[in-house]
Amino acid sequence: MRLHPLTSLAAAGSTAVITTAAACFPLSVAVGAGAVGLSFVAGVAHRMLPAAAAVLVPLGLSLLVLHGLFFPEGGTVLAQWGPARVTSEGLQFAVERVAQLSAAVLALMLFSFSVSVPDLVAALSSRGVTGRFGFVLASTLTLVPAISVRVQRIRQAQESRGLLIRRGWAHRVIAFRLQAVPLVLSLVDEAGTRAQALEARGFSSRGPRTSYREVPDPPFQRGVRLVLLLAAVAAIAARLGFPTAGA
Amino acid sequence: MRDTSAPALAAHIRRFTYHGDAAPVLGGISLSLAPGTLTAVLGGSGSGKSTLGRLLAGWLRPGRGGVMDGFLELAGTRLEFRGTPGDPQIDPTAWCRRIGFVPQDAAASLSTVRATVAEELAFGLENLGTGRADMLEAVRRVASLTGLDQLLDRDPARISGGELRRLAIGCAMINGPAVLVLDEPFASLDADGSAALTALVRSLVADGTAVVVLTQEVDALLHDADHCILLSNGASVVEGTAAQLAASGELAAAGVMGACTGRDGSAPRQPARAGQAGIPEAGIASVPAGLPALELRDVRFAYERPPARRRSRRPAAGAANPAVLDGVCLAIHPGEIVAVTGPNGAGKSTLLRHLNGLLQPLAGSVRINGQDIAGLLPGRVAADVGLLFQNPRDQLFERTAEREVGFGLAGGRAATASVRRALAAVGLAEAAGTHPAELPASRQRLLALATVLARQPRVMALDEPTVGLDRHGLAMLDTAVRQAAAAGAAVVLVTHDLAYARSVAHRMVRLDAGRLHRI
Repeated sequence: MRLHPLTSLAAAGSTAVITTAAACFPLSVAVGAGAVGLSFVAGVAHRMLPAAAAVLVPLGLSLLVLHGLFFPEGGTVLAQWGPARVTSEGLQFAVERVAQLSAAVLALMLFSFSVSVPDLVAALSSRGVTGRFGFVLASTLTLVPAISVRVQRIRQAQESRGLLIRRGWAHRVIAFRLQAVPLVLSLVDEAGTRAQALEARGFSSRGPRTSYREVPDPPFQRGVRLVLLLAAVAAIAARLGFPTAGA
Repeated sequence: MRDTSAPALAAHIRRFTYHGDAAPVLGGISLSLAPGTLTAVLGGSGSGKSTLGRLLAGWLRPGRGGVMDGFLELAGTRLEFRGTPGDPQIDPTAWCRRIGFVPQDAAASLSTVRATVAEELAFGLENLGTGRADMLEAVRRVASLTGLDQLLDRDPARISGGELRRLAIGCAMINGPAVLVLDEPFASLDADGSAALTALVRSLVADGTAVVVLTQEVDALLHDADHCILLSNGASVVEGTAAQLAASGELAAAGVMGACTGRDGSAPRQPARAGQAGIPEAGIASVPAGLPALELRDVRFAYERPPARRRSRRPAAGAANPAVLDGVCLAIHPGEIVAVTGPNGAGKSTLLRHLNGLLQPLAGSVRINGQDIAGLLPGRVAADVGLLFQNPRDQLFERTAEREVGFGLAGGRAATASVRRALAAVGLAEAAGTHPAELPASRQRLLALATVLARQPRVMALDEPTVGLDRHGLAMLDTAVRQAAAAGAAVVLVTHDLAYARSVAHRMVRLDAGRLHRI
């Protein structure tokens, strides 16, 4: 069964909310592992996991340093350097927060890497979301691939004239300094041209819009979205009612 | 039927000057386009055709884009411009609802956020709130007229240059505009595409559309034109029928090419032969002996599935992508010029990208001077192979023309001399300090050619080098190609311009269904 993009969004959003509200280590680990597993099933793991690592590794390290070294409630001291104490409780708290954060980030990243952007824009458009918002959303979600294509073109033009760039991402990153200025200039140049083209094709018109792309939205999935929304609200309510649960 | 008593579009441009420029780019031009007529605006490179087209189409608006003295009249409403702050403002949405425009760079008219050709066609209709049933019908009809039927589910970012132009034309006409302005519409189109476009324009005119074609070549369609205008240096120099323009003797001087007499206005040239300018004998009948400068042995290639559509990294059984190159064999010797033709989307540009290692074959080998380039970095292969990209904008990235041509050269006096020689060879010696983006499209192509010439490669791979060139530009290209071959370079030329290919190439091959066929 193909998921409607709003169902995917509701699933990712409610999973992130419920996991955060529950603050339960086994649940966080299970959700994180599930998101990674699903990324392989969806064929997006090779793109999603490096991006997730770029976000989570620095965040995780900072949480470990912050709570691992400076946790006032910590009683079991494992090591001490002046005012900084590594406590067992501090490390445990840090690991739980990292797992909680990772679960939420991975769930949302799975959505953003696996969703069909045209389907999402069409679904939003059919619900009265303005064309401009849809365009900005589509442009944002496709910005990285678009820049990547542009950089590749410039790099190929430079390589065709003798620039030696060894294979592998590290060499490409080093060579990027030669493509950065042409990239920015070409993006600025294209933005002006694109604005003309969009205006010429009626993008600025204020009337109602329609959508060529049809995204099926079975009643069952609408029901699922409602359940997911209610579950997220219930999780927040439970958290507010029992603030110490799971902590 | 539309009202034929009033012009669909009229314009009188006493002067139009870009902001920051001292001299006007257009002056002394009057147009009145009646419904159901074809108007041809001819002129060489830099004559002001594209500026005129953009001005008529509302892409370049007086006040915002430059200062205009004159008027524009659309559907009976006249807007007078004096170049003062009190000038009227054009509403681009309302204006473009009545005028469709296809710019010279077809890709510039696309939205870039639609996933398929069908959705890109429907983009303008979506913005007008057209019902879905009507959209489906309009997309089907326009796709049929423009030959896009088989491409409706393809990603617009992954179609060929000729297919892209057909898509841009489809996008411009799908709203049924009263006026359609086409800037160099035949560029990059194959023979079938050109014939289909000619028939399409005739049908639109018959249905009451006022069509304006901006071009630097007199072709079969323009003999149907009700009115022709020859532009030179931004001004109208001759007006009348195509026959009257031809009789005026001004076309050649303005850089316009005539199809009936060959692209250069003279009898078609004969291919270079043995003994002429030191070019060795070549061709199918007599294969030269010795080591080929370029050799492709049973090259096979297929693109990966687009990442966005890929549901799994494992290709499904039986769903392998079709081969773009399916056993291509070709040998070109030093001094030989070979033209590669074929329909739009056949994989000609893909073939050229194998010659310098930008693409690697899935099977088979590419050999330069006998050495297999598998595994070599493109930057290393570039010492021997110069590649002219199909779209000059993909090739140019520097801040000045001089820096552009000098990129990758070793430096020193020899490099400086080489840069100057290459710029002079393409007539851009005076534009050395100009930003490439500020040059007209034809000069951008010549600049891209200069970047190849400056390296004096042993193999020159040129992708659609004649597109957008006027008579003077074509003459410079022709001289450069012949001189390179005379100096011992192997030249492979991908083109839809069969007249030019026949005139310059020792032999021609056609790429179709992944294989090369002798012509």
